[in-house]
Amino acid sequence: MDIYLPIAEMSVAWPLLLAVGALVGFLSGLLGVGGGFLLTPLLIFSGIPAEVAVATTASHLTASSMAGAISQWRRRAVDFKMAAIMLAGGFLGTGGGVYLLRLLRSAGQTDLAVSGGYVVLLGSVGALMLNESVRTLYAAQLGLSPPRPRKHHHSWIHGLPLKARFHQSKLYTSVIPPFVLGLIVGILSALLGVGGGFIVVPAMIYFLRVPTNVVIGTSLLQIVVVTAATTVLQAVGNYTVDIVLAAFLIIGGVIGAQFGVRLSARMRGEHLRLILSLVVLAVAARLLWGLIVTPDDLFSVTVGTP
Amino acid sequence: MTRRLFLSALLLLASPAAADDLVSGISQDQIAITSNYAGTDIVVFGAIENAAPAAAVSGRDIVVVVRGPDEDFTVRKRVRVGGIWVNSTRMVLRGMPSYYYIATTRPLNEIASPSALRNYDLGIDNLQPAEESTNNPRKAEPYRLAIIRERTRDHLYASLPGSVEFLSPTLFRVRIPVPATVPPGQYRVEVSLFRDGTIMGAQSTPFFVDQVGLERRLFEAAHAKPFAYGIATVVLGVFLGWLSSVLFRRAT
Repeated sequence: MDIYLPIAEMSVAWPLLLAVGALVGFLSGLLGVGGGFLLTPLLIFSGIPAEVAVATTASHLTASSMAGAISQWRRRAVDFKMAAIMLAGGFLGTGGGVYLLRLLRSAGQTDLAVSGGYVVLLGSVGALMLNESVRTLYAAQLGLSPPRPRKHHHSWIHGLPLKARFHQSKLYTSVIPPFVLGLIVGILSALLGVGGGFIVVPAMIYFLRVPTNVVIGTSLLQIVVVTAATTVLQAVGNYTVDIVLAAFLIIGGVIGAQFGVRLSARMRGEHLRLILSLVVLAVAARLLWGLIVTPDDLFSVTVGTP
Repeated sequence: MTRRLFLSALLLLASPAAADDLVSGISQDQIAITSNYAGTDIVVFGAIENAAPAAAVSGRDIVVVVRGPDEDFTVRKRVRVGGIWVNSTRMVLRGMPSYYYIATTRPLNEIASPSALRNYDLGIDNLQPAEESTNNPRKAEPYRLAIIRERTRDHLYASLPGSVEFLSPTLFRVRIPVPATVPPGQYRVEVSLFRDGTIMGAQSTPFFVDQVGLERRLFEAAHAKPFAYGIATVVLGVFLGWLSSVLFRRAT
């Protein structure tokens, strides 16, 4: 039942890989997120080296976001101009992130950077989501209408130069914010193996004021392209993409996602967000524990020279 | 299987002995890492020649060492900074074996004196790097011990006292595990015959661990043509994603 992973150079039970892929696919279908933030830590917990986990997760995200992107495309819910600008930033960010990962690797700080980055990212995003979903559920319990998101008046965003018209989003705004957003997500994608949907979607809604119906499709297209670029750049720059691992995760993932999507149609949005925030916080807590608890051995050994 | 091994052992006995009075062989001269490789055992067997049975039994020991290709190691010491464990000082030790199993008839310290074992480079504790990134061996010592601990935990270094069994006064055999995590390369099996604390005869046999078939081609492709390999991974993902969307549309 074991399969040898040629890049990770280890044997893993392949049903475990299918199960991990299916679990993450299920949650991503259920909750409408890419699931990279779950997959990378799960792979690290399974003993896959952090750099292989990060790089291979990117290819899993390409596959799992592909199906969603296609169906949004059919609905014409994609702002290609916006996506192109975000991707320009995304490519730059991915290149920088892959280079940064290489520096971290030679300094022996990959595990710390990946785990620490996740703790900060998941901790803050999870706390925000938990806060929001609990407030919504509480308000619903009292029979009140859910609190509307506050109207943000980011005058500095509207004051930025290089304005352009986005017909699909019915916006006339500066190209700098989407470029910077793409840049940040590109770095995160290379460094942490996340697609960044859980950052891009709120940022597009609250900061860029993109209409909700266009947000998901545009974000998915951006994730497909950025994670594809990340996969290639990791393969070229760090030789850490394991195609056998990717194949098993993807097969499990696309199957799991279908069940997740079906279940999500029967659940309320607030409950889904509550579950997602709890899952996110649990992963963050587990990773933080790994950083804090005294290791069994105070020395860490890696093969090869820095 | 075992019977065939002994037949070949007997054939070896018939040929002129390579060492003084020891002949040995191994069950296979190649281990192929295939897609379902989950580790295997290598059987080392041999016989002591020209020994009067009475003399053969007393004070005689067999030491079998299997040693994998040398690797360079980077060892980092972790320190606590603000409640979080981070890697700090680093030491590079070059030329420690990737894999080292030592199987003996009795515990090693009963076979020979510590100084003799050091001279013969026998035993896990006596594994030394060929080169260290410091001139102070005392400073490198905790890092060397860390490699030994890590490899022992991962079942890549092991000491198997008492595992070499005599099936007759002259024939011996031992089964040595080769776990799934061993690196490819040339391995050496070194069999030594000890009598009263000194080596009377020794024989060395190589074998190879290789990635074969698809695994090897993927590994080579990832390093020789990383761009094409990356594109192939993306195409795989895009194809499977597209396929699932088609199947899903059909299903609903």
